[in-house]
Amino acid sequence: MLYQLALRNIWRNRRRTLLTLSAMIISSALLILALGIFSGMLHDMLASATEQYYGHMVISANGYQDDRDMFRHFSAEKSTGTVLEQDEILGYSQRLRSFGLLSHQQNSSPSEILGVLPLQERTVTSLQNSLIDGNYLTDEDPNGAVLGSGLARRLNVVPGDQLVFVTQAADGSIGNDLLLVRGVFSTGDIGHDNALVLVPLAWLQQVLVLPGQVHEIAVRTDQPLNAAEVAQQYRAHLPETLEIFDWGAMLPEMREVVASYDVSRMIIVSILYIATGLGILNTFFMAVMERTRELGVLMALGMRPGQIRAMILLETTIMGSLGLLCGAVAGIALSLYMALVGVDLSGTLTPITYAGGTILPRLHAVIEPGNILIPSVCLLFVSLLAGFLPANRAARMQPVVAIREE
Amino acid sequence: MTIPSLIKALLLTALLLIGSTIAASAIDLRELIRTVERQYTGQSSISEVEMTVVTGHWERHLKMESWSLGRERFLVRILAPIKEKGVATLKVENEVWNYLPKVDRVIRIPPSMMGGAWMGSHITNDDLVKANHIDQDYDFTLLEETSESWRIEGLPKPDAPVIWGKIIYQIRKQQLVPSQVDYFDEENILVRRILFDDVQVVSGRTIPLKMTVLPQEKPKEKTVMHYRKLQFDVDLREDFFSLGNLKGRR
Repeated sequence: MLYQLALRNIWRNRRRTLLTLSAMIISSALLILALGIFSGMLHDMLASATEQYYGHMVISANGYQDDRDMFRHFSAEKSTGTVLEQDEILGYSQRLRSFGLLSHQQNSSPSEILGVLPLQERTVTSLQNSLIDGNYLTDEDPNGAVLGSGLARRLNVVPGDQLVFVTQAADGSIGNDLLLVRGVFSTGDIGHDNALVLVPLAWLQQVLVLPGQVHEIAVRTDQPLNAAEVAQQYRAHLPETLEIFDWGAMLPEMREVVASYDVSRMIIVSILYIATGLGILNTFFMAVMERTRELGVLMALGMRPGQIRAMILLETTIMGSLGLLCGAVAGIALSLYMALVGVDLSGTLTPITYAGGTILPRLHAVIEPGNILIPSVCLLFVSLLAGFLPANRAARMQPVVAIREE
Repeated sequence: MTIPSLIKALLLTALLLIGSTIAASAIDLRELIRTVERQYTGQSSISEVEMTVVTGHWERHLKMESWSLGRERFLVRILAPIKEKGVATLKVENEVWNYLPKVDRVIRIPPSMMGGAWMGSHITNDDLVKANHIDQDYDFTLLEETSESWRIEGLPKPDAPVIWGKIIYQIRKQQLVPSQVDYFDEENILVRRILFDDVQVVSGRTIPLKMTVLPQEKPKEKTVMHYRKLQFDVDLREDFFSLGNLKGRR
């Protein structure tokens, strides 16, 4: 009976219902969109810091990450055991690193050469998406090279050109060989664009006289924000000669950026919640408040205060749920648009490299369940409260007083 | 003559003497260092050198032949081991080039790599380029004089483009050859020590044929260069030190 009454009440004053609903839908949809964009910015930054180079976690010989000493190498197959077979690992890449002189005709430049298995490397970093010229390496390529745009400019090379790399090999000899430029990438990170070169792992192992050896294994997981805990779990499964770092340990500045970003996001999100919540509170509150007289009549007809409260709660629950459902759908649709298409701001902004991460000039959303569920629950609670307060007030009045109220 | 005036006269003489020795040694020191720094090159030279490099991870023996003309030109080519035979370095004025026979390419060493190791040894490219200017870029003072040796300190001139914050030479008086040279960085920390032994007379010059470079931060490492054949004042012309010749005539 209460249920029917509630439904009828909702239908009776359609204008009021639609107004209340639209307030709910629009504010919840915009809140969901805003949260999605905030998450998107965080993801962009984290991704640029990890997917351009480091990966989410790095396994290497003890001390290697401190000095990048060429002699701290290890054999990947023998020593990592089952760590790389865990479910949460989306990909890993074995790498050998060397610093040396890269040269083309009269030009030469110091560079960082990363020997990789191209198919593996693509699962960890996304340099293949940052190519501005030529192609990425293939696994069959014996001596291809993909290098940063700044380095390519300094050496004056384009895909198809030859490069000479010289460095000191592990046996002390002068390691040198030819490379063929396959592609040029531009990540926005000046440090990598000006020095980094990807080459086939086997080629670098031969130049450095380090057959079968690698310096690190970069790992990508499905929980980048929890990489520190995941790394901690893996540590126990690795031999004592190896260590594992998460991106936060590799890029402490980036971890601080993420932490401070989280704080500022929290502040802005709180303001958004309060603004949205107050808007909804106001609408629902007034919608029930103006019905004090009607509620007085119902009480005069014999309806109990408890039933009044229950009826109004039922009404606001129905309206709130309906509004939030529509709002969530609209919010997801908007976020989806921003996730798939986004808004390109590169016309007015240039990429900013900060603490190893690059903030790309675009608005881009990420859809996370938390960004939809949390605002929905909060706003439903707000609307229930907004309906309950005036209903409670009316229920406690003498029917006569309530009827007289204008 | 009263006693005080005698003392005065003695003091004056002493002062004059000290003053004149300081003035004289300032000129001599620079000349002395110039001689020391050029002991292996002379006006021109041809030599065969054996280089042994020892690090914590490997030990290498290289045999090289080298040519030099004045301060600004030299060419050195590896004869052995086979793997690196033909690898060569050419220095002309402030430029350094390497030739790599395996890929048949000449590479110019950019300024940013001048601090890098030369041929995997504890000698840097900068040593090749800047060592010959030490007598011009530093001011010298005599720290200590014994019956056998001088200890001379070199401090960089204020605006000189130098690598070392201080250099201390230990020079054998009798033969006018160095026995030890210590190199300090800007923080006055000893970075490198070079020892000289096996002093012999070659083409009328007295020179130490063995040179040991000891990097101080890596106590177990060293580079030893031992001259096996050395000939001074040979017939070499500037055009010998060309990129074409860097690649080798054979």
